[in-house]
Formats: sequence, C-alpha cells, structure tokens
Amino acid sequence: MKIMNMVNAINDALDIKLKEDPNIVVYGEDVGVEGGVFRVTEGLQKKHGADRVFDSPLAESGIVGTAVGMAAAGLRPVVEMQFCGFVYPAFNQIISHVSRMRNRTRGKYTMPIVIRVPYGGGINALEHHSESMEALYAHIPGLKVVIPSTPADAKGMLISALESPDPVMFMEPKRIYRAIKQEVSEDSYSIPLGKGKILHPGTDVTVIAYGAMVREVQKAMVMAKEAGISVELIDLRSIYPIDKELLASSIKKTGRVVFVAEEPTAFGVGAEIMAIANEEAFLYLQAPPKRVSAFDTIVPLPKGEHHYLISPEKIFYEIERTVKF
Amino acid sequence: MRYIFKFPDIGEGLDEGTIAEWYVQKGQQVEMGEPLVKMETDKVVTDIPSPRDGIVAALYGRVGETIHVGSPLVEFDLPGIDGADAVSEVQKPVFEPVNEEGAGVVGTLEVADNSAYLPPTDEVAPTPTAEKPLPRRALATPVARAMARELGVNIDLVSGTGPAGRVMKEDIENYVKRESSGHYPPYQTAASTAATLNTASAGGGRAAAGTVVPPASEAFEIRPLSQIRKTIARNMIRSKQNAAHMTVFDEVEVSELIRIRYKYKEAFEKEGIRLSYLPFILKATALALKQHPVLNAELDLDNNRMILKKHYNIGIAVDTDDGLVVPVIRQVDEMTIRALATAVNTIAEKARRRDISMEDMKDGTFTITNFGSIGGQFAVPVINYPQSGILGIGRMVQKPVVKDNQVVPGTVLPLSLSVDHRIVDGGEVTRFLNKIMEYLGDPVSLIIG
Amino acid sequence: MDDQGKIISPSHLPEISNELLIKAFQDMLFARTADQMIVSYQRQGRIFTYPPNLGQEAIHSAVAQVIKHDDWLVPAFREMGAWLAKGVTLKDLFLYFMGNETGGSFSSAHNMFPVSVPIASQLPHAAGIGYAIKLKKLDQVVYAFTGDGGTSEGDFHEALNFAAVWKVPVVFIIQNNQFAISVPLRMQTVSDSLAIKAQAYGMPGLQVDGNDFFAMFAAIKEAEEHTRTGNGPVLIEAVTYRQGAHTTSDDPTKYRTREEEEAWQKKDPVNRLRNYLIDKKLWEESREEELISQFRKEIDRIFVEAENHPSYPLEDVFQYQYAEMPDDLKRQKIEHERFLEWSRSRTKKEVAR
Repeated sequence: MKIMNMVNAINDALDIKLKEDPNIVVYGEDVGVEGGVFRVTEGLQKKHGADRVFDSPLAESGIVGTAVGMAAAGLRPVVEMQFCGFVYPAFNQIISHVSRMRNRTRGKYTMPIVIRVPYGGGINALEHHSESMEALYAHIPGLKVVIPSTPADAKGMLISALESPDPVMFMEPKRIYRAIKQEVSEDSYSIPLGKGKILHPGTDVTVIAYGAMVREVQKAMVMAKEAGISVELIDLRSIYPIDKELLASSIKKTGRVVFVAEEPTAFGVGAEIMAIANEEAFLYLQAPPKRVSAFDTIVPLPKGEHHYLISPEKIFYEIERTVKF
Repeated sequence: MRYIFKFPDIGEGLDEGTIAEWYVQKGQQVEMGEPLVKMETDKVVTDIPSPRDGIVAALYGRVGETIHVGSPLVEFDLPGIDGADAVSEVQKPVFEPVNEEGAGVVGTLEVADNSAYLPPTDEVAPTPTAEKPLPRRALATPVARAMARELGVNIDLVSGTGPAGRVMKEDIENYVKRESSGHYPPYQTAASTAATLNTASAGGGRAAAGTVVPPASEAFEIRPLSQIRKTIARNMIRSKQNAAHMTVFDEVEVSELIRIRYKYKEAFEKEGIRLSYLPFILKATALALKQHPVLNAELDLDNNRMILKKHYNIGIAVDTDDGLVVPVIRQVDEMTIRALATAVNTIAEKARRRDISMEDMKDGTFTITNFGSIGGQFAVPVINYPQSGILGIGRMVQKPVVKDNQVVPGTVLPLSLSVDHRIVDGGEVTRFLNKIMEYLGDPVSLIIG
Repeated sequence: MDDQGKIISPSHLPEISNELLIKAFQDMLFARTADQMIVSYQRQGRIFTYPPNLGQEAIHSAVAQVIKHDDWLVPAFREMGAWLAKGVTLKDLFLYFMGNETGGSFSSAHNMFPVSVPIASQLPHAAGIGYAIKLKKLDQVVYAFTGDGGTSEGDFHEALNFAAVWKVPVVFIIQNNQFAISVPLRMQTVSDSLAIKAQAYGMPGLQVDGNDFFAMFAAIKEAEEHTRTGNGPVLIEAVTYRQGAHTTSDDPTKYRTREEEEAWQKKDPVNRLRNYLIDKKLWEESREEELISQFRKEIDRIFVEAENHPSYPLEDVFQYQYAEMPDDLKRQKIEHERFLEWSRSRTKKEVAR
C-alpha cells in the first residue's frame, strides 16, 4: 500500500504495464523528457527507454494517426492529448479510423489504443483547457470512454484499458489530479471497464456522477444528510459502455434520480441517463429525473468560471427539490 | 428464354435518362459487354453495355424518349436455360443508389494535504454488501401517482391489479371507496404525528409499515398484524362484499335432545369420548343440506352457474389464541353420532395444541359457528365465502315455552342462519331452517329418514 | 522510355530480367482488363461506385514487382494492380465495391491495409507502422499511396514529418494524375513540384514519369533500398494521367478537353511497354488477344461468384464493433430481432388473407 494521488496512480499503472507488456509505447507532446505537463509520465522514459516513452511532434492528428498504424502492426500505443480542447484536430482519426478499423477489416486489424486526455474545468486556465466533451466520444460506435474519480480507480481502470482489445478514451479529471490522496495497492490490479460503482448506499434518491464531480456530490451529501435525505451515490466510471443494470436497479429502488456533471447540458451524457431512467424504471419513478450540469455556453474564462462551475450547494438544492417533488 | 434488361441506376441517385442513340436492332446477336444504347443523364452521357450474350428481342423506347430507372430497356432471347432455372438465373439482387463523396504549464491545481487521504478501494478484494430488505413500493405510471396524490392516497398501500402488479387508476379508485367507510384515518396521519419523520409527506406519503414507530404513549398501543389476522380481515371483507348476506333467526325447543344426550353421555365418556350437542347439530345440518342442496352450493358468476356440491363437509368455527380457524369434518352425512363426536373431540384437541393445519381446513361446503358455547343468543354470522350459508348456534337457555296450551319451563336453542341471498331465496332458507329444527326438536327423526 | 517505347536514357535503365518484364506487362494487362470490365459492370447496375485505374497501371505494376510478402501496403483507393500483388483477391475487391465489408477487410492479404476514404488520413498510419517495424527491428518496408489532392491535407504534412523525425522505413508514393476529381494540379498547389516538398521534411524526394514502367521500377527499387537499410523515408512523385473519370459517377467532359485526354493517351503506359516488348521480340499481339480473352473469362467467373455471395446477415452489423459485444448492443440486436419476428408473422397473416 502506498499513499498516492491520481497523478501517481496513473504513473504507477503505466510503469507496471510498460514493464509487463513490451508492446506498449507511450507518446505525445512533452511526455518523454519532461514527463508531461502535469508530470503524469514523469520518470517513465528514464526507466523504460526513449523508444518506449517519447516525445512526438506537435500534431494531434499525426499522434493519433500514427497510433492507428502502430496498433495494426502489433503495438499497444498509449497516446496523450495534452488537453481535452486539443483533441479536435485528431477527431477525424478517432472517428474515422480508431473506432472503425476493427469493423472495417472484420477483425483483421484491431485498435488496442489508449488515448489519455486531461479534461474538465476548475483550474483557472485559458480557453480550450477546461472542456468536458465526453459525450462526443461516447456517441461514437466502436470506442470506449472511461473516467475515474479516485486514484485507486484511476490505476485499476487504466490497467484494464491497457489490456483492452478495444480503443479506450481515458479521460482524466485534471481538477482532482492532486486534490485527492488515497491508499493504493502497489500491485497490478484491474477494475473492469463498463462497470459503475455504488459509493454510498441510500434509499431516497440515486445521484449519479463521475470524475471531479463525485467529490462535489459528496460535499452536497453532507447537507443532504442534515436534511434527513438518504442519498445513494453512484460513480458512473464508464460512460460507454454505460452500466445500465446498476443504474436501473438503483433507480428502481429509490424512485428518484439526479445526474451531476460538468458537461454542457443539452445532448450530453445526462440526456442518456434521463433516457435510461425512463426506459428502465418508468413505473418506479416518484419524481422527474433531473440533470444538474453546466450551461449550454462556452466555458467562461477564470474570472467568470465561478458562475459556471456546479457547486455542492447547487447539487444539494436540486437533490432536495427532487425529493420534495 | 426471355429476359428483360431494365435501365439501371448508373449515376447514383438518377431516376431517368434520355435515349440518345441505339447501337443495336431487333434480331441482332449481341455479346456481353457490347454497348446497346447511348443514354444521356443528368450526370453522365454514357453507353450501357449488354449484361448478357443473346439476341435482341425488343427495344423499349425511341431515340429522344425519356426512360425511368428501373423501366424495361431491352428484351433479350437468352440461349439455353428455360423454366424455373431461368428465373433464378435472372434474379438479380436489388441495388440502391450510392452517394459519391468528393476528405503546464497552464492553470492552477488544488493539492491535497498529506494528512488527509482516502482508505483503499474495496474493489481489489470485493466485499459483499448486505442490504436490508426494503419496504414495498408501488409500481405505477406518473399519471396514476398524480391521481393518488390528488386523492390523498398513499399509493404504496394500494394493491395493484395491473401487469406485474402495477397499480392502475381503478385500483386507486377502489381503494378510496373502501377506505371511505371512513373510520380509520389514513396511515400517514399516524406517521406524521411522529417526530422522527422529517421528510415532508406530500399527499402520497412514502413510509410503510415497519420503518416508522411513533413514540409510545398512553394514547396508543400499536399491535402489528399477524398473518392469521390479516387473512381473517381479508376474508371477512371479501365475504361481505361479495355475498348478499341475509339472516334468519329462530329458536327450537330441545328438551328431547337434552334427554337423549344425557342418556348416552356416560357411556361415551367411558370410551373417552366427550358427547356434546354439536354431533347432533352437525348431523341435522347435513341431512337438511341433502334436502336443500342450494344451501350446500357455490355461485360461479364468471361462468354464469352455481355449483351444487354432493359432498357434505361441514366446517366448525373454532376460536383459538391465534384467532379464528375453521377445521372441516368431511362427509358428515355418512357419519354416526359417535363418529361425529370423536371428530369433534379431535378438533378440540388439535385446537388446544394449536395443531390445526391447512389440510384440516380445506374442502368445506357449509360452516357452523357455535358462539353460544361462549355466550350470546343471536348473531348475524359472516358467511365462510364462497359457501352459501353459515349456521350460528347460540347459548341454550331456559325459557318459558307453550306446550299443549300450557306455559311450561323449556330449554331453547337459538339459531341464526346467514345465507347468500344471491342464490338462496327466502322460502328455501326458512324451509331449510325448519328442517334442522325438526331434527333437533325430535332427534329420533335423524334416523327415521 | 519515350512515348513509343524506345529507351532514350540507357544509363538510367534498371536491371530487370525479361521474365519479370513480361510478367509486369501481363500484370498491367490483367489490371486494365479487370478495371474496364468493372466499369462495364457498374453501367450494367451490377456494382456500385468504382474509381477506375485506367492510365496508372505502370505505377502499380512497378510496386507489384518490388514489394515483398512481409512489406506493408497502405492504399488510398486507386492502386488495384498493387493490391492484387499484395494478395487482395478479385472477389474481395468485387465484394467491397458491391458494398460488403467482408470484401473490404482484404482478409487474405498479409500486411495490407483497407481502402482509406478520408483523403490522406492513411499516411500517418503508415508512419506508425514504420515506427513499429523499427521498434521490433523487423525487415519490412511500408508503401503508402496518396494522390496529388492528398498532398494538400494536413495529415500528409504530419505523416511525412513524423516519418522523417522517427526515421522509419516508409516509401510515400504520390500518384500525381493531374486531378483531384475536377480540380487540376495548378489549383492544388503552386509548388514547383510535389516531390520537392520532401526537402521540407529532410527526406529525399523523386519525381518520376509514372507512365514509364522502367523509370517507375527504377525509382521504387532505389527508394526501397534506401529505406530498408535504415536511412529513413522517401517521397516519390509519380507523374501520370487519370485517363478515366474520378469514379463512375463523374463526367470528366465537364472539366477537361478531348485534346488534353488525347495528348496524354499518347503517353499511355501499357502501349509504351508493349511497343518496347514487341520491338525486342518479347511479345506478340496475337498472344495478347488470347490472354485478354482468358482474363475476361476468369474475371467474369469470379464476378458472378461474388454476385452470388450470401446476403448480408444482421449479425455482421453488430459483431465487429468491439472484441466482446457490450450488453447494451446485445439488447439492441435482440430487440430488433423481436421486431423482425413480429414483422414476419404479420406478413404471414397478410399472405394468409
């Protein structure tokens, strides 16, 4: 056991797998010598060599495109997109090839690629550094999208992604890169992709969140407890495939659901949750399912960000309104 | 064999073309691939090649004419194949037109304190979570829930008759009708007097039995319902709601019965059998039922019929510590008084031991309730549904009676007979009761026939 | 070779045996025959949109004679002769253009990438494969194709840059056939040539007469030797002419003249090599007629086989999205099957009536 934050945990997962699997290569802008702008890949090049962990030219489409070739030729590339806002030049490669090559070649070539993306706001950054566009990737058939909320989950889920035969968008909530420390096992362990987790059982309302918002919901739950509301908190963890079974059984149990995320609301992951609540638990619902997510606007620059970010108080406000319906 | 070549969609999404020039004529032998016609379309001017070797049998269209995609263009005489084989030869998969296509450094991060950290994840070695079973929640559409709320009904208390036990609007309506006999306040009122419940109870309420315990006070004692009590409650209301109860009261003078019983009482006791009046009453009832079968019947409204039973299994209502149970004595008509006495004793013993089983209570066709053993003369007994009648025996009392125009002391047994007036009419009821009274007034008639 | 097939620069003539030369010519004949038949099939309504290879056969045949079994081919979409050499079956090709991924997977062709529809997006793939080859220390070369239009895409630039920086064994071949659908080269770039762009990435660039088989063969051979021995990638610009339309839905008369087409016709690669061979008494016209007739029969036989391929099953829509079908996808399929059941019984009832 070792106390790690999420950066350490991700680094540990990469370190373990780089050692175990000679086919894994890690590359992207600044990930080699500098160890990544968030130091997530620190020390890995020294340990595993510059042909396994290296810096690439500044070209996102080229980074993902070359990964396609490497994967077809038998490697397991782990590429880093420096910030979620910079994935867009690579979007064509992702949607046209990464997600489709298996289907196009009927399984002859598969894409065991992990695309790591720090995402999300709340870090007082410039434009394009605070995006939360996971819904775009979840909507692409052939891709998997996962988002951890704790260091231990990050390590286990990344190890699973590194062993997955399918391409995985591994989205890292940068706001909590260093904000949470946890006792994490130093061994290799994997947390299966596609599964959510009940972090806290409850009876009055199911609250679903992922990434950095899990912590905000936990703060809201303190207020909820004082108000006598028993919250069942689910960490979604996997955006696609989504753990429908878990969500359905919880919503049937409590009869109420509140979804919390930092993405813009319209047509987002939350819309899918609303559909699930209705399709799977229609007869059990005691209140309309509710999305608590960001405005359908561009993320404001730091001075205006406080208007935009979802506060624990806002989460509690919506939980209470749902329970009192 | 004849084959019609239709104008194909060669330009992705075209629907027509104009014939610019025919390269072939009727009767001409053509080879596959040889151009047949020059077609002008929106996208291209092109030659259409022959799909087959064969002889041109007919040309569909003149130069300058417009042909729609899918319409016949050229008819061929193909060599060789005929009949069914020909058809499958010619069968072409249908194509659809395809569209052509023309290709940090930044910010600040929060850092956690070294002294505060989360415990390890339980996922590496997963721990099973033991969950308490949860109170019943109704399945219902939002519309039904809204209705329940408007009517002030706790939907979780309404039993559902819809698919998968869904609570339908009718269920809510019926619930309201039943509840509006009005003497019990809705459950949530009792709950809301409890200080422990903080969540607002909007009309529908949520808490169910077992989770809310109001504080003990002199005003209330809360007694949870036993399974038997729940069953009795259910059966009573079902009987009253379905059968059209009608009750007839009468008394029979039983001095003769008393004398005969007294005569055999000791002899029976020597054999260990306690002889009460019940065996005589049972026998009388059974014989009377034989003569008035509609009292031993069951109404089957669903099939528009009544079922007259030819067996006479009489249940005896027994009051136990747990509540009311009705063990059944089968084929009473065939049993002697002695046999009946034995049976009655057995039942009494089982009741004392609390040993009366479901088996013991099955297949009854008529019921006797002997409340008189405890007290009371007359009552309006509730029919043991779905039977058609129930005979209530009251307490034997000494009363002045008229015999031979003289007022003399006599002993009278009060009888209360409830029947289902849907199938038992007034005349039949009284005739039946008269018969019983005949037998009980003159017990020898039980064997005379 | 000049347009008539006479050698004009003997010092550049590559070493090549007569057998290989005749084989190369026959490959070109086969490719051309098949190509023309496919266009005809399309006009008959028996196959969907198809991009003809007419006029570019020498480039493909040159690569076909050099490429080894373990080498990789990363195609764009107009290199049929090269695909066939790499093991793509005609049947697969037909199935693909008839609209079935079973064909497009090119499953029987070793180290052969599928057709790439987004222009130039396959070039970074080639660079990535090159990296894997280098990392695993394998003896393989990657041949990656694009057209003159593809050189304008960002991916062209990124791929060449990556390949050069990583110094990987990739031969990038630009088939400059003068057109990107209707847009001529002069509107695509004002660069002196396409080959010169290689300089910007620090790699050698060759401009070759793509319709001169000998020149193409020599260029490919030189590039292969350079890159296989660890000297990094090479860019080849093969100058040729797209004698056919962009695809069977395109009408070139809209944007180019008969005169231009006829002028380029004179440089036709098949004619030039034929003239050379006949001149050297290595070939006879009569042989060609017979050969082509054989080819036609064989090609038609395979085409009909492809036409009779079993129909596209519902499973194929679902089962290749992931290694293991996620539950949700399974459910979607099952629910659709339920609908199909309902539809079938409904039709039965209709028929019964």
